[in-house]
Amino acid sequence: MSHTIRFIIALVFTFSFASCAKKQDPYGSGDFGSFDGDSSYGTPLGSRPEGASFFGSNVNRNVYPPIYFAFDQFQIIGAEQAKLDGIASGIRQSGRTVIIAGFTDERGTEEYNRALGERRAHSVRTALIQRGVSPGLLQTVSFGEDEPADPGTGEAAWARNRRAEFGVVN
Amino acid sequence: MNYLPHRPTPAIVTIAAITVTALLMLPTLSAQAQERPRITVTKDTRAPVVIRGLNPEAASILANDLDLSGVAVPSHDGAGVFTAEGSLAGGVKGRLRDASGAILFDKAFPGSPRMAIHRFADEIVRAISGRPGIAATQIAFISRRSGRKEVFVADYDGANVRQLTQDGALSVSPAISPNGRFVAYTGYQSGYADVYLIDLANGGRRPLVRAPGTNSGSAFAPDSSRLALTMSRDGNPEIYVVGLGGGGGRRLTRHPATDSSPSWSPSGSEIVFVSDRTGSPQLFRMSASGGGPGRLNTGFSYATEPDWAPDGSKIAFTARGGGGLQIAVLDLASGSTRIIGSGEDPAWGPNSRHLIYSQGGSLHLHDTLTGRRTTILSGMRISEPSWSRSSL
Repeated sequence: MSHTIRFIIALVFTFSFASCAKKQDPYGSGDFGSFDGDSSYGTPLGSRPEGASFFGSNVNRNVYPPIYFAFDQFQIIGAEQAKLDGIASGIRQSGRTVIIAGFTDERGTEEYNRALGERRAHSVRTALIQRGVSPGLLQTVSFGEDEPADPGTGEAAWARNRRAEFGVVN
Repeated sequence: MNYLPHRPTPAIVTIAAITVTALLMLPTLSAQAQERPRITVTKDTRAPVVIRGLNPEAASILANDLDLSGVAVPSHDGAGVFTAEGSLAGGVKGRLRDASGAILFDKAFPGSPRMAIHRFADEIVRAISGRPGIAATQIAFISRRSGRKEVFVADYDGANVRQLTQDGALSVSPAISPNGRFVAYTGYQSGYADVYLIDLANGGRRPLVRAPGTNSGSAFAPDSSRLALTMSRDGNPEIYVVGLGGGGGRRLTRHPATDSSPSWSPSGSEIVFVSDRTGSPQLFRMSASGGGPGRLNTGFSYATEPDWAPDGSKIAFTARGGGGLQIAVLDLASGSTRIIGSGEDPAWGPNSRHLIYSQGGSLHLHDTLTGRRTTILSGMRISEPSWSRSSL
């Protein structure tokens, strides 16, 4: 078989694997019985790594830069998108599990902010999966408005707190 | 149950009833007015109650309960429409007489002495007004006074403060069950946001929801047997319902936006929650068995943390306007929303009249009929209060 045909076959394989990841049955065993799976917009999370906590000593939070978000938004804006290629490449090459932690600034109510932080983490996770990172390597946690990067008040501090951070599990 | 005998109702009670009914029929202002409406009581509609037979401490607790109820006022000059006679020997007993001296009830009240007095107060409120009282209830909340967020409970009047968690990890999103028996909350001691259940009857704690992702926003169903919450196990924050027995969970929402903060209708057949699917967080209403949610129009571009009143007629929530976070109440029949005051995270009392909420790190009790606000606990850096409907 010619190299060109092998290359085309490999490409077809790669793309069909990528779309398979989005359609796999999300509901394995567990305490939650059966659901009708509908994951066209989200890829289910896999099991957590044992004993790894985002702020724990066996997680390195300085490997990748944070992704920042606009006020009350969970979409990844243009300037931040550019960071994701390098981050995806790094995660694929290392093969290490990464915990994506989502945060908000202090404005608004706590529980919605907890969910918004989680939604931000999932925006980043989806973007990394689209760049070829295996879904099973990416865990999420949200701290909402807790654990700010900047404990101050005002636009500059708030902008630093609206973020998703990466913790690489050692 | 109304204990009134077959005789003409005392005139002052009739006047009080008519005045209260008239006040309840006052039109509520819509949010667009951007004003803080004030409902003032132009005539004292509270029934004076004389308290006898209790020691000073018990009498003080009872007097405070009657005062906060909004339907009674403790009488200090011996003139009263009603007389509450209590005794403490061998357990708390209480009796209520009307102006003619007839006995409306005479019974023993169980529980600790404080809780028994609260139950006596609630029985008086029920006899006078036909409505439930708020005294024999518990509040769960988060406090940062130790430096870290931990879960606490207290009586509704701020007494009997007890710290439930001491993990030194982040503990948030507390919910006390309507029957006052359980506190569910989200704890990060594993490094992840998991839901734990504390049994107040024996102090035991067990993990309840440890799915991958973030598990938070616990809200008990009215029968205290199920929990609605936000889970992100499927790759997005969605609303789920789980049983306390540990078996069976059902996913209710299916949308790529952020879904959070569920609260149950009093029948347990519907859930109100928050979604930013239209661009900013709004209140949505859906069947508790799943099905298409419908948006509730509050007039605010930011509406979160709803709490459905026990009588089903209204939903309290946090609104964000020009002046920061405010407590708002949406009347479901009329569709109009009014602002109660500054604060966040409102929770209804069993009478669907009083709210508790946090503001400035303090816990406040607010009578939505009269506008009277009472600080219950201060200096504790309080957030996310939750209110039971009864106590153990």
